[in-house]
Formats: sequence, structure tokens, C-alpha cells
Amino acid sequence: MTDALQFLFAGLVIGSIYGLAGIGFTAVYNVTGVVNFAQGDFAMLGAMLAIAMMAVGTPMIVAIVLAIIVVALLGGVIERLAIRPASQTVIRGIIITIGLGVLLQGVAVVLWDSNPKSLPAFSGETPINVLGATLPPQSIWVVGTAVVLMVALHFFFQRSYLGKAFRACAVNPFAARLVGVRVPTMASISFMLSGALGAVAGIIVTPIALMQYDSGIGIGIKGFIACIIGGFGHPIGAAIGGLMLGVIEAFSAGYLSSGYKDAIAFILLLGFLFARPEGIMGEMEKAQH
Amino acid sequence: MWRIGAFTLLIVALWFVENNYVLNLLVVIALQTMSALGLSLLMGYTGQISLGHAAFYGLGAYGSALISMRLGLNPWLSIFAATAIVAGIGWSLGWLVFRLRGHHLAMATLAFGVIVYVGFVELHDLTGGPNGLQDVPIFTVLGTFLDSDRLIYPLAWGACILTIVLAHNLVHSPKGLSMRSVAENERVAASLGQDVSALKRQILMLSAAWAAFAGGIWAHYLGYLSPNPFDVGFSIKLLVMVAIGGFANIWGVLFGVAFVTILGQLLKPFGFYDVVIYGLLLVIVMVFFPNGLLDGLVTLARSAVSGLRGARA
Repeated sequence: MTDALQFLFAGLVIGSIYGLAGIGFTAVYNVTGVVNFAQGDFAMLGAMLAIAMMAVGTPMIVAIVLAIIVVALLGGVIERLAIRPASQTVIRGIIITIGLGVLLQGVAVVLWDSNPKSLPAFSGETPINVLGATLPPQSIWVVGTAVVLMVALHFFFQRSYLGKAFRACAVNPFAARLVGVRVPTMASISFMLSGALGAVAGIIVTPIALMQYDSGIGIGIKGFIACIIGGFGHPIGAAIGGLMLGVIEAFSAGYLSSGYKDAIAFILLLGFLFARPEGIMGEMEKAQH
Repeated sequence: MWRIGAFTLLIVALWFVENNYVLNLLVVIALQTMSALGLSLLMGYTGQISLGHAAFYGLGAYGSALISMRLGLNPWLSIFAATAIVAGIGWSLGWLVFRLRGHHLAMATLAFGVIVYVGFVELHDLTGGPNGLQDVPIFTVLGTFLDSDRLIYPLAWGACILTIVLAHNLVHSPKGLSMRSVAENERVAASLGQDVSALKRQILMLSAAWAAFAGGIWAHYLGYLSPNPFDVGFSIKLLVMVAIGGFANIWGVLFGVAFVTILGQLLKPFGFYDVVIYGLLLVIVMVFFPNGLLDGLVTLARSAVSGLRGARA
């Protein structure tokens, strides 16, 4: 029983990260129709930047905020230079963002070599005991940050003027343009938002799981799987999908074998793609194009 | 057709190069061209995407190696057996994945690639796990082992040129036109009486078979196998090659394979910079040269020449 609880907690922690990555995908996809395959590399880059700035003596909180801002700006630059000029067919969008991901990995490995790196935990290393399972304090930070961000984003999309403009672009970009929404500006902002979300996810998970130049691939792919489980284009679906995926992975790693962990995530993905491609919350039509 | 003749003569001439490094590079180019051409038929000509093509290459290599080792079959037979099995896998995978399109298809094929790779690493009893398989039987002809670059070269390039001829004939046949119509607009193709799903499955089967055959040659030439060359990175590399070649362009794909392979060799001394270059190249080609690097450079050169002429006049 204690084992099960331990796996459940571990799953919720990693699931929060997948959920954040999934929401990053959703933000970009809803506005631009592009699935940003470099999403996970934003997470890697955020963590690496924070680590690099701390290494030259920047206080932790400053380094973290700066890293998030830099990755957000980079997201905007990428949208302007690589996404907007290319006419949007699905396959080209996929290949361009794969190329961007490879490029970011290349830059990271050239700047910071290929060794795994870590950040200090935000509030010490003393484990917390919950019903017989032990939790590092950082896991509270991860789940807490994820929950706060998800709730904040929900209100942003539902209540704020900008959030409503975002959703208008998702429903019908042409109609949104007719009523005065600047769709290209929204596309830029969506990439900046997903950059910031990615960077936050990468930074909060690094004290628990080490970060290296290619760690982003896994985060990105799992975030995408979270989106498909939850229903593509649904921020809440992505969050739920991420948590489900994290928990299932943690249990299969605990009870079966950690080597098969990745295969199980992908078998889950295939299962959803074939049995319920619209996900838990999505509509069928979205899965068909 | 004259191009294929001229190209064959060039390949025969290159066989006499007294340099094992060059020969080895050419063998690698031949095998990767076979896989990349299959991907080009699927992506360029039929408009579908596969991010798991390395799996077919790997299944062909492991399949042929295991059949020859466990069942004691001659490599010349096991490679055909493995190719047939992988073709069957490709065809059945088509039943599953072609219910999906676009991003979902990309992810489903990526999932296939990752699951197969995890299988290579984790099924220790069968594949030897991360250490791989040792002592894979080598091809023999009349008692001579094809164990050098010079001896495997005719087999690799013979198979590759055969693939080029087949691909050339296919895209110029009525079937090729059907493929292009599916790439342009599936609904229109279906309304004109094309069985779109069956066509996609057939192309996936064909491209799986080509990759598997190339993988089989690789396995029996090297004599050992490990999972690493068959990871998702290789699927992406094939994608880069096809993208640089301009997707629906057979000679372009050959150029793409040669370009990426030779670039990889040139960048080797600079350590990890090759990753930066691959990524940059992929983005630049996709954004600015959607018809491939060769086509883009030719267009640039032409407009530069006409610009010069215009300046003189």
C-alpha cells in the first residue's frame, strides 16, 4: 500500500510536468494550428539558462525569472522568423518545429556540454512523510506551481479580454480577424506563452530529475500524449491527460520494469488514437484533420 | 532512363577507387538511399508522414540477423524472409495508422518507432539488449565472404539502383498519378474512384520493405548489431534527407542522402556542432526552399544570372 502511494505521488509530480507541457502545446495549436514539436526543448532551455546564470553568481530567483523571460522572448522570435514566413501545411509545420527542436538541442550541447545538470531544491532536501510515503519538498513545489498556473490560465482564457481573443482565433481565425483581432500578434503571444510555460516546467522539475541537452524530447512527447489523451486543444484536458499519463507511467515503472516505461506511454497513446482519437474532452472533428 | 544509365556507369567507375573510407561512405549512402526513397514515396508522392521509419530499417536488420542465427538459414534467404515479414508489418500498421491524419499520424508513427526501439533494447533474450547481437553471419558468394567495403559495394549499389528504377517506374505509372492525387486532395481522389486507404497501405508496405532490405544488408555486412542506430534520431535524419531532396524528387533524395552523409563526416571533428547544423539546415530548407535544397540553389543561381544580365542591358 505504501508502495502504491509512493508511485501515485511520483506519478502526480511528473504528470504535472507533462500537463504543463501539454498546455503549452494547446496554447500554440489553438491559435496557429501548428503542433510545436520543440515544446519540450523550451523546458530544457529554461532549466539550462537558469543553471547557467546561477553558475555565474546570479541569485536563484533572479536567474529563474530571467530564464523564463528569455525563453518566452525566444518563442516570439521563433514564431516571427520560422513559423510565420512558411505557408502552413501540417507536414511543413511538423518538420520546421522538429528542426527548431534539434537546433535548440544543438545550441544547448555546444554551450553547456552533454552532462546532466541540476538546480538546488527550492526549499531544502528534508523529505516530508505523508501516510508512510516520503516526498521531497520540491514535489510540493512542482504540483503547486502546476495547479496555480493551470487555474490562472483557465481564468485567463475564460475571463480576460486577451484570453477571449485567443479563443476566437482558435474557433475561427478569419472571423476573429474580421472583428478586429490581430491574428499574427496572437500567434506571437501564443508562442511566448508556450515558451514561458515550457521554461517554468523545465525549471521546477530540474531539482528532482536532472536536465541535459536532450531531456526536452521526452518532456515534449509526453506533453503531446497528454494532449491526445485529454482531447487536443483543451487546456483542462491536457492537464488531466498529463496527470493520468504520469500516474500510469509511475505504476508501470514500479510494478513492471522502468525500461518499458516509454513503451507503455506510447501504447497508451496508440490506444487513445485508435479507440478515442478525440480524447477525453475533445470533439471528433478535430482528430480528423 | 539515360540518367539511370549514366548514374550506373558513375557508380561502377567509383567502385575502382582505391580508398576504403570513400567506399565505406558510398555503401552507407546506398543503404540509406533505399530507406529514404521509400520515405519519399510515402511523404513526397503520397502526402503522408512517418516519424518511425528507422523501425523498419531496424526490424529488417534484426529480423534477418535473427532468422539466420536462430534458424540457421543462409543470409541470402533470411534477408528475403525478413523483408517479407517487415513488409507485412508495414501493411498491417497501415490498417491502424491511416485512420489518422496530420499531427496524429505523425505521433502514431513516432510511437511505433519508439515502441520498436524499446523492444530492441529490452528484449534481452532475443536481441541481446543494449549490447546487441554478435557474430551475425556474413554474406558469402562461392565460398568468399563479402566482408569488405569493396565486396559489399556491388550488392548495396545493385539493390539501390534497382530501388531507384522501381521508384522511377512507380511514380511515372498510373499508380504514381493516383499517389499524387491522394497527396493533393484525398477526398477528390476518393471521389474519382481511388481506394485511398488501400493505396496508402501499399506504399507503406513498399517503403517498409525497402528499408528492411537495406537494414538486412547492413546487418550481414557489419556482422554485429546494437539498438542505437535504429532510434528516433535516425528517423529524423531520414526526414532531413528527404526534406533536403525536395520530398517528391527521386534524384533530389539521392542528393539529400549524399549531402547529409558527407556533411556528417565533415562535421565530425567539430563534435556536437553537427546537431546545430542539422537543425538549422532543416529549418532553412523548409522555410525558404520547400522544393529542396538542390532546386532552391538552382533557382537562386538562375535569378542571380538573369539579374546580372538585366544589369548589363
